[in-house]
Amino acid sequence: MTVVDAVLTACPFCPCGCGLYLQCDDGKPSGVAPSRHHPISQSRLCARGWGAHEAPAWGERLTEPLVRRAGGLTPVSWGEALDAAVSGLNDVRATGKAVGVLGSARATNEENYLAARLARGGLGTGDLDSCLRGTYLPLARGISRGSGGRAPQGSLVEIEESEVVILFDGDLARSHPRAAFAVMQAVARGARLVTVSCLRTQLARLAATHVRVAPGGQQEVVAGLIASVVEAVAAESMTERRAPEPAAEMAEDVKEAGRWYAQAERASLLVAPEAAVGNSGEALGFALASLSQAAGHLGRAGSVVLPLPVRWNLRGACEMGVGPDVLPGLRPLDDQAALDRLARAWGRPPASPVGRDAAAMLGAVGGLLVVAEDPPSPLRHERAAREAMSQLDCLVVLDAFMTPTVRAAHVVLPIASHAECEGTCTSADGRVQRVRPCASPPGSARPGWLVLAELSARLDLPSQFGSAGEVLAEICHVIPAYQGLDHRALDHGWGAVVAPKSDARPVESFPQVAGAQRAAGDGSYLLTLDGVFDWGSDPLVALAPTLSRDFVSKRKLFAGGFLEMCSEDAEALGVRPGWPLRVKSRHGEATLPVMVRRELEPGLLLVPFAFREQAEGVLGGDDVVAVQATRPAG
Amino acid sequence: MDSLFLPGVARILDVRDETPDTKTFRVVLRDRAAHDGFEFQPGQFVELSVFGCGEAPFCIASSPTRPEYLELTVRRAGQLTDALHRLGAGDEIGLRGPCGNGFDVAAAAGKDLVFVGGGIGLPPLRGLIWNVLDQRERFDRVTVLYGARTPNDLVYKDELKRWAERSDVEVLVTVDRGEPGWDGIVGMVPVLFDRTELHPRTSLAFVCGPPVMITFVIQDLLMRGFADHAIISTLERMMQCGVGKCNHCAIGHRYVCRDGPVFSYSQIKELVE
Amino acid sequence: MEPVTAQVLAKDRVGEWIERLMAEAEVIAPVLAHGGDEVFAPIRSPGEVLWEFTNPVHPPKRFLLPQTDPVVAIRRGDNGYELEAIVDERRRVLLNVRSCDVAGLAFLQHVHAADLPDRSYLERAAATTIVCLSCPDPCPLGFCICSGAGPFAREGYDLQLSDIGDLLLAEIGSERGGELLAATDGFFRPATLAEMAQRQQLEEKAKQLLSEQTCHFASAMRRVSTGRVAEDLWRKMSDWCLECGACNFVCPTCFCFSVKDRHNGDGWLRCRTWDSCQYPAFTLEASGHNPREERRDRIKRRFFHKVSAQYYQRDGMVGCVGCGRCVEVCLGTTDMPAVVAAIRKGEWHG
Ligand SMILES: Cc1cc2nc3c(=O)[nH]c(=O)nc-3n(C[C@H](O)[C@H](O)[C@H](O)COP(=O)(O)OP(=O)(O)OC[C@H]3O[C@@H](n4cnc5c(N)ncnc54)[C@H](O)[C@@H]3O)c2cc1C
Ligand code: SF4
Ligand code: SF4
Ligand code: FES
Repeated sequence: MTVVDAVLTACPFCPCGCGLYLQCDDGKPSGVAPSRHHPISQSRLCARGWGAHEAPAWGERLTEPLVRRAGGLTPVSWGEALDAAVSGLNDVRATGKAVGVLGSARATNEENYLAARLARGGLGTGDLDSCLRGTYLPLARGISRGSGGRAPQGSLVEIEESEVVILFDGDLARSHPRAAFAVMQAVARGARLVTVSCLRTQLARLAATHVRVAPGGQQEVVAGLIASVVEAVAAESMTERRAPEPAAEMAEDVKEAGRWYAQAERASLLVAPEAAVGNSGEALGFALASLSQAAGHLGRAGSVVLPLPVRWNLRGACEMGVGPDVLPGLRPLDDQAALDRLARAWGRPPASPVGRDAAAMLGAVGGLLVVAEDPPSPLRHERAAREAMSQLDCLVVLDAFMTPTVRAAHVVLPIASHAECEGTCTSADGRVQRVRPCASPPGSARPGWLVLAELSARLDLPSQFGSAGEVLAEICHVIPAYQGLDHRALDHGWGAVVAPKSDARPVESFPQVAGAQRAAGDGSYLLTLDGVFDWGSDPLVALAPTLSRDFVSKRKLFAGGFLEMCSEDAEALGVRPGWPLRVKSRHGEATLPVMVRRELEPGLLLVPFAFREQAEGVLGGDDVVAVQATRPAG
Repeated sequence: MDSLFLPGVARILDVRDETPDTKTFRVVLRDRAAHDGFEFQPGQFVELSVFGCGEAPFCIASSPTRPEYLELTVRRAGQLTDALHRLGAGDEIGLRGPCGNGFDVAAAAGKDLVFVGGGIGLPPLRGLIWNVLDQRERFDRVTVLYGARTPNDLVYKDELKRWAERSDVEVLVTVDRGEPGWDGIVGMVPVLFDRTELHPRTSLAFVCGPPVMITFVIQDLLMRGFADHAIISTLERMMQCGVGKCNHCAIGHRYVCRDGPVFSYSQIKELVE
Repeated sequence: MEPVTAQVLAKDRVGEWIERLMAEAEVIAPVLAHGGDEVFAPIRSPGEVLWEFTNPVHPPKRFLLPQTDPVVAIRRGDNGYELEAIVDERRRVLLNVRSCDVAGLAFLQHVHAADLPDRSYLERAAATTIVCLSCPDPCPLGFCICSGAGPFAREGYDLQLSDIGDLLLAEIGSERGGELLAATDGFFRPATLAEMAQRQQLEEKAKQLLSEQTCHFASAMRRVSTGRVAEDLWRKMSDWCLECGACNFVCPTCFCFSVKDRHNGDGWLRCRTWDSCQYPAFTLEASGHNPREERRDRIKRRFFHKVSAQYYQRDGMVGCVGCGRCVEVCLGTTDMPAVVAAIRKGEWHG
């Protein structure tokens, strides 16, 4: 017999996919308990997971539909609000302007799927994206292409059994704690850890080898690893095949790491989202697949090749077809079978033009429907994005929390938060799990899937969904990899793992690996952004009193931003923490206070993603720039 | 048994600007009987609520010898202090306390007293100074040494003037950085030691201010012959409960909110983590 | 040893007995939740109660000290603010609590009653009856014997049940326990000497199973109390902690909290909420100054509070009941036995 005073659900923060119990007191989420038998979290949770109840209970919640009138956002009935949303978007279309749809890594599969369906089916637009897609999908796609669709493969738990782990680190200990634990666990069991990063992170300190790399230099390291693997494999196979030219000056540490990787029975390649910064994500992914292939780990049980999405359901959002150039199931836009399947399910053929991505959409479209996102905060150019949002003729926002985007909206549709909604999410390693409600949404807020279904119906897109489960049923029907999943089955188990079916495409040949841009080596520095996303701006963190504390304090003290450098560099430049430093690139210059960070490699300056605007003049749109750093006079 | 967490409601009588980011709030507990029953020592603090924002600790800056009201001098530093600064006369806040140990005034009887304050560190001393001045005959020499970053950062300017005018108190004020119009002393607080006569053997020194300043001043006083137990200071730690339960303010097994915030230097030396 | 006066209850009448308890109070016991997870939860029927189970990973302390615990209701009335202390006097029975958790609750009782008594905790505790279920088969991760908390409870319980075949033997640990038995008269009869001996044997056997000392508090205490643990050791260990705070949250003796206001209708609820000394912001001051800036400072703090002689003297026991939960939940490898061993040996291998 099963009893609950708490509800098992999926952690809503990072994509590791931990399971947790949300407790509820007096109608509000009040606490969290771990799950002993959950296949991923296994009794463990990180600090964020332990705070999963906070934002829904403590944060500023949207409780009634709002429509912008002369006096500002005014409460209206649901009927009025939905009509206003649809007529607002239709009016924009009538003037010949485009309308776009933004899904979100913070939304469930059902919400994302319905958003994609509404865009391509209801609004007939390809302007469909989620703000963080670019940090994940290219990498995943590169891996898939380079492996004939056989990777990403493996699970976080399998990493613990690896003999060798190669980690392209951002700072996993902070960004994906459960994954970091898997790595730590592997090391504790005797695995050799190789970290490749521009930071000497916490995990790097546990590594057998830490490969220093400048941002953007990951490609080169992968090329080195491939060469070393090929050499090792050739030496072992004793054939007369001539070993490939050894890479001219392959660093000894990379060479050794490659040997370890080639010789291991079970080995893991784990890629943090920051690793792709300054690289082409797709080329890096392709190279990683090639590395795994060369060492024979591709498709081998127990070996893992896993890129980590940066936020909760980013993988799910992509797989639901939230992207300007994909159909649900990550099918290309010209996949006729997929188009037919969708047309049958939707009762209307999907629009299949390639659309604009999130950044390009803003400023180009006249109307925008946003699901559970404050688009400027994850986007690279925050100020421009906010400006563009304020220029929209019609902005319809579905969210559970008050955000700046909600404040700028014309129509606000309040939806349930993760603590109150039904649905599913897809973890980094492809486990689809149930999200279960532990409370009712506040006020008259409704489940997101229901609101999207109602909007779709008003756009004459047949949408007779009676539950989130029925949405999932359609998802399973149109996305081959999700076939066979079913709400009830998911309910009894711990979720199910989706593996995109292998295309059995031939593996493409090694790509040309371009050398990354290097530091000038004349006392200049490389400047880049720290992170590809800022947890401090995520409402689930920002509105959680325990989780927001670190972010709040830094932001309060350094409202104008800061840049981080290692103590050696600070000493060489004669600056102390808090002192200003002028950095100058070919694009421009900026002066920011300095913070010392132990983990940094010499020669590297980092600006936290939250303060990207303050460094934009220097970065000029690049991911990494060479800068001269000087103490400002006076 | 009362709840440890239940504040009394207090009304703001008056708000005075001290510096651009510091204000002094004069408050009374709404319940007359509660106000009259509110007994405290200088150096003790209250947990102040801005309703909806939570609580934060502030030392009582007024003297128990002036029981009609309580005064709190607050610098804007974050969420709660921001919200507090937006309140004015007639608004209500919560007060819980008094918390902490306070200065031992009785033990100071008959001694020379040296008050050394830095920046926003004067408020805890101010209650003690008024307390001392209101029973001036019980103590020997009284010296007030006070420093702030700039003339703008000096708090209680009027009172400093009034104390200075008294013949039974010596007041010396310095600023780290002078400004046009400032004709007083310039330099860090310890420069004042050379300008006054210190009597280490018969004195108690009361030192409050930012942590760095406290460290420097104590070193200086030690060098000038003050005994560890004759140097009395207050410690600041992040606090949540103020009643020894939440563990935020613990240093080793001591709790700044219960065993302090007032510690002698000999006690401070024994605090280990 | 004093002869224990005990009563026995036929197992086939346990359900009825629990129903009687449920008529008077909310009964909280280990039950199965999703996928076979053992959790403490209010029961709806006696059949749900587990009698053979691995101790739930989340301890029962949350029924006395919830993660979000409203302590003051704040309302704006016609004549200004109205404040009211929130007191929870709901009658509860915690059933089948293991002896380690009994010791944990006794610890919490002590710290909340000591110095300034904390009414909000004490009222709840006063309305809660603790029924312990002794552990004849010690759990795999536990080391309760090292901290003297188990496998059979010696104090802190109202009733302690032991499974002696067809019967449950109940020892009375407090007046309240005695009253409970009196109130459910008709279910119990006095235990015979043979039955008492049977219970004694169970305890001896369980102790033997645990006899291997796995967590040597004494030697760690000597070092921690006198600051004789090398800074470098703390630093090395701290690389193996991911600052999740789980060790604090599942620890039966941890009780750190913060206080903050949450919207509630037109007013607010002032809540105390669980906090963790392993979180960087735990000691962060408004000025940005943080006396425990580094992770090693925080881990050091945790073990000072848990195993120092200073705290031992203050609280009468080490701050660890040996339940093994931190071993299970640690998102790293720095759990209690691992760190105690490292301190004792002066080295850390991860
Ligand atoms: C014993 C004692 C006496 C004090 N007396 C005064 C005084 O007379 N005047 C004055 O201006 N300031 C005083 N402070 C400092 C004052 O408490 C902090 O500036 C204040 O808590 C900042 O709160 P905030 O909400 O504005 O800042 P935030 O940064 O938003 O802080 C959030 C919460 O953290 C806690 N907190 C943060 N910093 C501190 C801190 N330094 N000490 C304790 N808790 C903190 C509080 O609960 C606060 O509400 C005193 C501190 C202590 C410990
Ligand atoms: S590791 Fe990720 S999924 Fe797991 S509890 Fe932490 S934030 Fe949640
Ligand atoms: S449970 Fe482990 S990882 Fe988490 S804070 Fe405690 S010691 Fe660190
Ligand atoms: S502030 Fe809570 S223990 Fe001191």
